[in-house]
Amino acid sequence: MAITPPTRAPHPLETTSRADDAVVAGPHRRHAARLAAIAFVAPLVVYLVVFYGYPLVQNVAMSLQRYDRATFVSGGAPFVGLDIYREVIGQPKFWRIVGQTATFTLVSITVQYVVGLALAVFFQHNFRLSATLRAMFLVPWLLPVIVSGTTWQWMMNPDNGALNSLVGLFGVDPIWWLNADHALMSVIIANIWLGIPFNLVILYSGLQNIPTTLYEAAAIDGAGPWRQFWSITVPLLRPVSLITLLLGLVYTLKVVDIIWIMTMGTGTSQTLATWSYGMAFGKGASAVIKYSEAAAVGGILLVIALAFGLVYIAVQRKSED
Amino acid sequence: MARSWWKTALALALTAVMLFPIYWMVNVSFTHRESIRKSQLLPLDFTTDHYRVVFSQQLPYLTTSLLVGVGTVVLTLLVAAPAAYGLAKLPVPGGRVLSFVLIVGQMIPAVVMSLGFYAIYNRIGMLDTIPGLILADSTLAVPFAVMLFTAFMRGIPNELIEAAELDGASYWRTFRAVMLPISRNSAITVALFAFLWSWSDFLFASTLDREGGSLRPITMGIYNYIGAQNQEWGPMMATAVVASIPTALLLVLAQKYVAAGVTAGAVKD
Amino acid sequence: MTHLNPRAAAGIGIMVVSGFALAGCSGGPTVAPGESGAASEGTTTAQITFWDPYPQRETGSEWDTLVKSCAPDGSTIVRSSAPQSDLFNQLTTAVKEDNAPDIVLLDNPMMPEASSAGLLATAEQAGIDTAGIDENLLGPGIVDGVAYGVPMGSNALGLYYNKNILDAAGVNPADIKDWASLNTAIEKVVASGKKGITFSGVAGEEGVFQFEPWFWGAGANLSDLGSAEAISAGQLVSDWIGKGWAPRSAATDNQSASWDVFLTGDYGFAENGSWFAADAAALKDFTVGMIPIPAKDSAVAPVPTGGEFAVAPLQSKDASDHYANASSVIACLTTGDKATATSEALGYLSAKADVRAAQVADNALWTPWVSIVEGAQGRTSELGATYVAVSAALSQAEQGALNAAGDASGVEAAFKDASGN
Repeated sequence: MAITPPTRAPHPLETTSRADDAVVAGPHRRHAARLAAIAFVAPLVVYLVVFYGYPLVQNVAMSLQRYDRATFVSGGAPFVGLDIYREVIGQPKFWRIVGQTATFTLVSITVQYVVGLALAVFFQHNFRLSATLRAMFLVPWLLPVIVSGTTWQWMMNPDNGALNSLVGLFGVDPIWWLNADHALMSVIIANIWLGIPFNLVILYSGLQNIPTTLYEAAAIDGAGPWRQFWSITVPLLRPVSLITLLLGLVYTLKVVDIIWIMTMGTGTSQTLATWSYGMAFGKGASAVIKYSEAAAVGGILLVIALAFGLVYIAVQRKSED
Repeated sequence: MARSWWKTALALALTAVMLFPIYWMVNVSFTHRESIRKSQLLPLDFTTDHYRVVFSQQLPYLTTSLLVGVGTVVLTLLVAAPAAYGLAKLPVPGGRVLSFVLIVGQMIPAVVMSLGFYAIYNRIGMLDTIPGLILADSTLAVPFAVMLFTAFMRGIPNELIEAAELDGASYWRTFRAVMLPISRNSAITVALFAFLWSWSDFLFASTLDREGGSLRPITMGIYNYIGAQNQEWGPMMATAVVASIPTALLLVLAQKYVAAGVTAGAVKD
Repeated sequence: MTHLNPRAAAGIGIMVVSGFALAGCSGGPTVAPGESGAASEGTTTAQITFWDPYPQRETGSEWDTLVKSCAPDGSTIVRSSAPQSDLFNQLTTAVKEDNAPDIVLLDNPMMPEASSAGLLATAEQAGIDTAGIDENLLGPGIVDGVAYGVPMGSNALGLYYNKNILDAAGVNPADIKDWASLNTAIEKVVASGKKGITFSGVAGEEGVFQFEPWFWGAGANLSDLGSAEAISAGQLVSDWIGKGWAPRSAATDNQSASWDVFLTGDYGFAENGSWFAADAAALKDFTVGMIPIPAKDSAVAPVPTGGEFAVAPLQSKDASDHYANASSVIACLTTGDKATATSEALGYLSAKADVRAAQVADNALWTPWVSIVEGAQGRTSELGATYVAVSAALSQAEQGALNAAGDASGVEAAFKDASGN
């Protein structure tokens, strides 16, 4: 028995623009509507131009000139076009770092999403304390990252940390979590922990939007919970899932703090973001400031995000058709 | 009945796992410095000294953080809600582009943004001020807020808006009287994220509010415990605990509204 | 299939153009910094800004009160702090935006880079008196023959030990005369059921700071990181990790964290700095002693000079007045009556021999540290501004060695790679 969701009005998170719906009647009204639209959106646009446009241009400009600390202070950095980009991409460690970034990002958002969804579905059942416990899941976000990062670092102490005690219970030898080889895995674990609350909150809100009548109808038709999940929840949650994954991707690509506090981006935990950060501020192993290279890596990250943004729009358009 | 208890127990277990690092933080906050690296499960070398230090030093920073947090929420809502209404329900020229720009804008490294801010603020004399920090922190939340609001507002049935229009309401009136009340729950979600993100911001605070004295947020107050060659983890963890309690309470309260779902209070099925 | 439609391009274009417009409004400083200005030509201003890297020294603390008491008549000092690594960057941005403070305390290995980047006024311009300061301690502040500031005192590295553990293991610290005897001592401690030695091998300058006594003690030179001596220093620390004599967290512990580990009372030895000397003496759980860090074949290895320099950042507007501020405050803190108080408040040994002697006479705690400070070597004395890059390479080599955990080929590869950079 196929269970098809009944046809209904567009889902909240589908992004059809109202401009496409010719609901507004008459040219006069249309013009007024347009003016009103601009008025409502104007503060945002000004805001974006001032606070995002300017730094964006600065960043790009920096990546096209060869800066060092002296020219940063007093100007006069020579324009070198795309040389910096060529140098950055030509470095032997560039592709290794890209790979690590990809692993870090994809594993993080996948696990965060799956766990977040599982928890959201679980919390749908209104058992005792469910609201309070769901709120407690957000507590990790209240902590400054310096605190949570350092706590994870302690828990991952190879000699006497809590994590090794835990795996020891299962008979596994102590792991040197934060050494060069295992660093990536360790920071992924901590990052997943940090990302679950975000996924939980958004997916939960999305789930709340699905009318319970659908589930009741399906149950009457004889569908079990698993079937209900795949035929009702997953399709109807699609728009929310897409936006959660996209935002998750953008935020994860930017992550620096948690990695920095745990390992300073040493070993395999070096991602494009931590690399850029270290070069921009002369932190980590090298105190040499490389403003231009940092801006170039930042530019590369921007391009990656742009690419995924386009993918998102393409996928969205498809789902509207 | 038994079924319900089983779920509660499982939820408690999951929450415990998730919050274990928090437990560790509390554990350390009650431990003497000498025993912190012993990694003991319970604070055997117990002390309340760290909390004493925190209460005597950190309260002004907490107040500032609270002010900045609330300010950020207000500013974010002021900028984002009208814009979202425009994007969701009105024909904005280039609306799709704007949405795209919002996604991409979040990609700009915060570091780059803070340097840009420093230059601007220095020129207009807004360094070391709370309004300046509020403005900067709002950039953490505004794009996300617009996206979230837009998404939820799109789901508001057009019939409601048409009804208001038939009654002769202006766009502003429609926004204030129809959209806002219905969007209450998404507003609370946005407020939650805006508050949390501004609460934990360190980068903007350290760049733009360096010399603010006690007009600095708690993320900087905590750095009093990070000296040149000496860091005091006990007081730092204690500060984090003290800072988390009021906000945790806020969370529990807010969850009720976030949970109620987007269409609660809107159209009856 | 999506294509970048003209509207999208226009939208982004508008943002970019507006951004350029804004960027155009922001120029650099309007008056060229540099040659103009001298302390003698200026008068002190009402508000003096003072930056240091001691955020833990709060308002009302000994140091804070001391600094503020050094305000010239009619002025007040506004003091703010930031962690070491951030301070330098904040100074850079501040000088660029013409918003620099009057006085900054800058970590000594950063001095050549700061001066070559045009961030500092010369000591002469700023009216800073460099007389009476030990040559080795003043060295890092002299770039191309020109002095840029004075050291606020010096800290140094030593080898602390847990007397209770050593007595129980039958180790006499006086017997430690070189690496071999040190390793024997550690082995005895481990055999008695305790752990060996803590140190900080964290990535960055802090880890390099702690590694340099072993590096120089082996006879290695910073200009050649791939030498056999350099590799032997790396092998030393790598073996400690491999044998479990040192905690594996050494690769991520900074000096404070390494001290925390020593405080647990499980370790026999700790390589750490003189800033912990007072705390060590006050410990209740066990007694702490200190010996100089041994070299490979002798009892005392050269340690890097520690501590910060008081400098006057380069100013463009009203430069002379700013320099007058700097001159007055720095003179107050480093010469005359308050010189000893400054050193004591910071927990450093004074950079001037006579003041140091007075410190030692007052407080016997400092006696064993004097010879270490006098034998300290500047990190930037030979390499100047290129030190920063060399330190980065050395840090990577050390991290590689620590991760290798005793594996000789791994250690050798780490150092050979670093020297190739």
